[in-house]
Amino acid sequence: MVLSEDDSDLGAERRVTFARDIFDVEAIKRAAYRLSGYLVVDIQATEHEYHCRLFALDSTNVDAIDALINRFRGEVLDQDLRIRIAKETEAYRNLILSLAFSKTGVTG
Amino acid sequence: MSKFAPLAQFSRGQESGYKLLPFKFDALDEDRWLVTNLVGEFHVLPRQTLENFIHHELSPNAPDYCALKSKHFLIDGDSDVALDLLALKTRTRYQRLANFTGLHLFVITLRCEHSCPYCQVSRQNDDKTQFDMSEEVADRALDLVFHSPSPNIKIEFQGGEPLLNFGRLRQVVLRAKDRNRSKQKNLAFVIATNLAVLSDDVLAFCREHDIHISTSLDGPEDLHNRNRPRPGNDSYQRTIAGIRRVRETLGRDRVSAVMTATAGSLARVREIIDEYVATGFHGIFLRPLSPYGFAVKTKWIAAYDQQAWLRFYFEGLDYIIDLNKRGYPFREFYAATILAKMLTPFQPGFVDLMSPAGIGIGALVYNYDGSVYASDESRMLAEMGDETFRLGTVRDSYEALITSEKLLDPLEQSFAASVPMCVDCAFEPYCGADPVYHHATQRDFVGRKPESGFCSRNIAIFRGLMTRMEADADTRHLFTRWANR
Amino acid sequence: MLARRGTGYPVRKGDAEAPRIVRLTTDSHRPFPERQSEAYLSRDGEVPLGFAWYVFLGGKDNLRRIPAEAHGIALPDEFTYLGDGDILRLSSDRGNITALFIRSVRHHSFLLTERCNHYCLMCSQPPRDVDDDWIMDDIMATIPLIDPTTHEIGFTGGEPTLLGDRLVRLVDQCRALLPKTGVHVLTNGRAFADQAYAAKFAAIRHHDLMFGIPIYSDLADRHDYVVQAQGAFDETIRGILNLKRHRVPVEIRMVIHKQTYERLPDLARFIARNLTFVDQVVFMGLEMTGFTRANLDTLWIDPVNYQTQLAEAVRLLAASRMKVSIYNHQLCITDRSLWPYAKRSISDWKNEYMAECKGCSARSECAGFFSSAKFRHSSHIHAI
Repeated sequence: MVLSEDDSDLGAERRVTFARDIFDVEAIKRAAYRLSGYLVVDIQATEHEYHCRLFALDSTNVDAIDALINRFRGEVLDQDLRIRIAKETEAYRNLILSLAFSKTGVTG
Repeated sequence: MSKFAPLAQFSRGQESGYKLLPFKFDALDEDRWLVTNLVGEFHVLPRQTLENFIHHELSPNAPDYCALKSKHFLIDGDSDVALDLLALKTRTRYQRLANFTGLHLFVITLRCEHSCPYCQVSRQNDDKTQFDMSEEVADRALDLVFHSPSPNIKIEFQGGEPLLNFGRLRQVVLRAKDRNRSKQKNLAFVIATNLAVLSDDVLAFCREHDIHISTSLDGPEDLHNRNRPRPGNDSYQRTIAGIRRVRETLGRDRVSAVMTATAGSLARVREIIDEYVATGFHGIFLRPLSPYGFAVKTKWIAAYDQQAWLRFYFEGLDYIIDLNKRGYPFREFYAATILAKMLTPFQPGFVDLMSPAGIGIGALVYNYDGSVYASDESRMLAEMGDETFRLGTVRDSYEALITSEKLLDPLEQSFAASVPMCVDCAFEPYCGADPVYHHATQRDFVGRKPESGFCSRNIAIFRGLMTRMEADADTRHLFTRWANR
Repeated sequence: MLARRGTGYPVRKGDAEAPRIVRLTTDSHRPFPERQSEAYLSRDGEVPLGFAWYVFLGGKDNLRRIPAEAHGIALPDEFTYLGDGDILRLSSDRGNITALFIRSVRHHSFLLTERCNHYCLMCSQPPRDVDDDWIMDDIMATIPLIDPTTHEIGFTGGEPTLLGDRLVRLVDQCRALLPKTGVHVLTNGRAFADQAYAAKFAAIRHHDLMFGIPIYSDLADRHDYVVQAQGAFDETIRGILNLKRHRVPVEIRMVIHKQTYERLPDLARFIARNLTFVDQVVFMGLEMTGFTRANLDTLWIDPVNYQTQLAEAVRLLAASRMKVSIYNHQLCITDRSLWPYAKRSISDWKNEYMAECKGCSARSECAGFFSSAKFRHSSHIHAI
């Protein structure tokens, strides 16, 4: 998600960094989407890291912003796990769905 | 006896570890996490256990291991019948799709002598011909009804106040039964009426043709009358009297009531439930105000705070649970629908919570003017000037209506299992798509779920139901009975 | 307990005649054509002419009086319960007698074979690997003689499906000759994992057939352990799925003991979720015969100590609208909430009562005990 040049009307900026060899950028994007009701996230990539600039939509409550940042971190971790689970279970998912909708039914 | 092998011998298949079966996870509350599988089975566990499980570090001796295996979240070396069973359960969940459009709503008039501010229909008075369904439209609508492949057909009369066009209603019932002689479907009729204009003729007709009555009861007298004004301000008295008359002539189970909550209702849920109990009902549908029709125009929706509604809902639910424990059987229908998805392999046919969406597949609406809509909400949206979900007219063929892009596009796009955020959400197996709601609020069939009131409300309800089940075995048992209605 | 086997005094020892299966009659005016294949049951020494066999209760002196071509046998006192319509296997050279069918009894059960591919910890009929095809021969000969007003007959073993197509033919024979009689077959169900075999039973279109199939746990290794066969759980479930796919009625039964009671609620949840289409679920008490005695330490738990788990399991299944029954449990040690589900289930020839039952008001509704229960039973039996 790339912001316009002028993002000064958003509240104070916070930064979170994720190592590229550990986190899938898809996880960061999905976390950003989930929290898009509360945060705006700008992601930039360097060779080894993803740099995220976070802006709270409601910038008045400082404690709440800290909590949001932690929530974002947690959400990225969770999304990363979800991606991993989806990959790992894809074959079974396809097998189950094809068994479910095949004409001959489930057992031979 | 040395001839008998010990348990350990049969557990050897577990030594080489386990594989994950498809599942999703989300937080249930501050301390606990929820996992759900493809068919809505669930398990609650602490975060650490969840992580161990995902990283293949959960020991076969851990108590959660057995539960996760039994509920089909993992598979190991001693058995693989889980795959056959998951396939069968998946098939069962989608079975409903094969027999679609069972519910047919006939809006036979827009005339009504009430003027409920939340009404999602434009009210018209007096001019009979302009806002009544004509014979021709009714006949063509019946043609479409009998084109539906569903073996179970329910025809529901709505309005305005449908009894104001009783002549047409009569005609539709008689002609439908006549046609059904050769079709042999399970045919059921319902009239959604405010009961204010109930006559002996109407009652006799309903009795003869096994017609069910659905009416509105918003709560105790003052609340009901304020919500539902009519000349003489006696809607409540007429409703109660009407319910009694229907019970006496048609039978106790022949009348059900629907409640609409308004800002004035929010603090009074116990009184509303007490009113239902006093009136002899054994269930209530605690549904929220939807963002259509007059509700928007009269700014009732603005006064409607989702948190306040959730407090209303859970206060009502807890009160109902308590009623049951004290020996009075009473169920909440919205919870019962969700619980069916959580606790049984079956998908209930409730249009609002279906995925693929219930529009068209679950219901079709035939408006007084001959236009055909994908759902009741779709018609309400049209009243506000938005015809996105108008499928066509009664002069179109069934096939054309059902396969029109106006239906297929929202169905396809909104299918919850493949929509951003829904695709990861652990609660998705219990939820629905509701493209009409999302179009109405966000101009998008899919809706951005982070901003969706439908989404946040439903998740709050799912969490609330689950935490109550996990906390108390008797509540869980009660919910199991509700789920298996 | 009714004696089913014994030795009588045959009229001619060493007779070359092969063992016969005959139906008893006490009707001295029986039409002559019927008499040629039947046995007359004589209590007072009367000898109406024309019968193939004469069976005497009370003294072997009467044997002298039977017609020369006929066979006869005098039975010891434990067979005085016999009556009209009962079916006996009589062997004239040694005098062996087996009561194959006793009309007056409520539960009729036929053992089809002692062979089995399981070795359950609590097996009440320990398997023997013998060639016992003759048993099926006997039963096929018995079926035509069974009173057609009989309500239900049961087939058990060993494992009946080891008989393959002979079992199919037997069930078909029952359909044809006993059109008002229900047939209940106890089996581990694994053979039905072969869809074609399940289809054969569906094709019979029996009017009232049901397979009773045990599942002992929601977890494969525990079930396999109880039945002592690796892979049993998977095959049994696949068998059930195939039977139900062909609309053949299936009952899930399980025996409650120390190895199965803990996960009873989990099993109930598993059944309600995965096997919701089975026709009924039955929970059985432990029988003190066969392997149970040898494995008592592994298996014994006083039924009062598993009432919580049982009640939860039954409650869950009932709430899920499944049909549930409890067999072989005494009412005094069963949770009150479960009384509506407890059935009088013990075969008349097995059931008895204890001294503590004297004066109990619930006796006529109670299942009582297996006679084997004298060996071990609950310490909490009391009159209600």
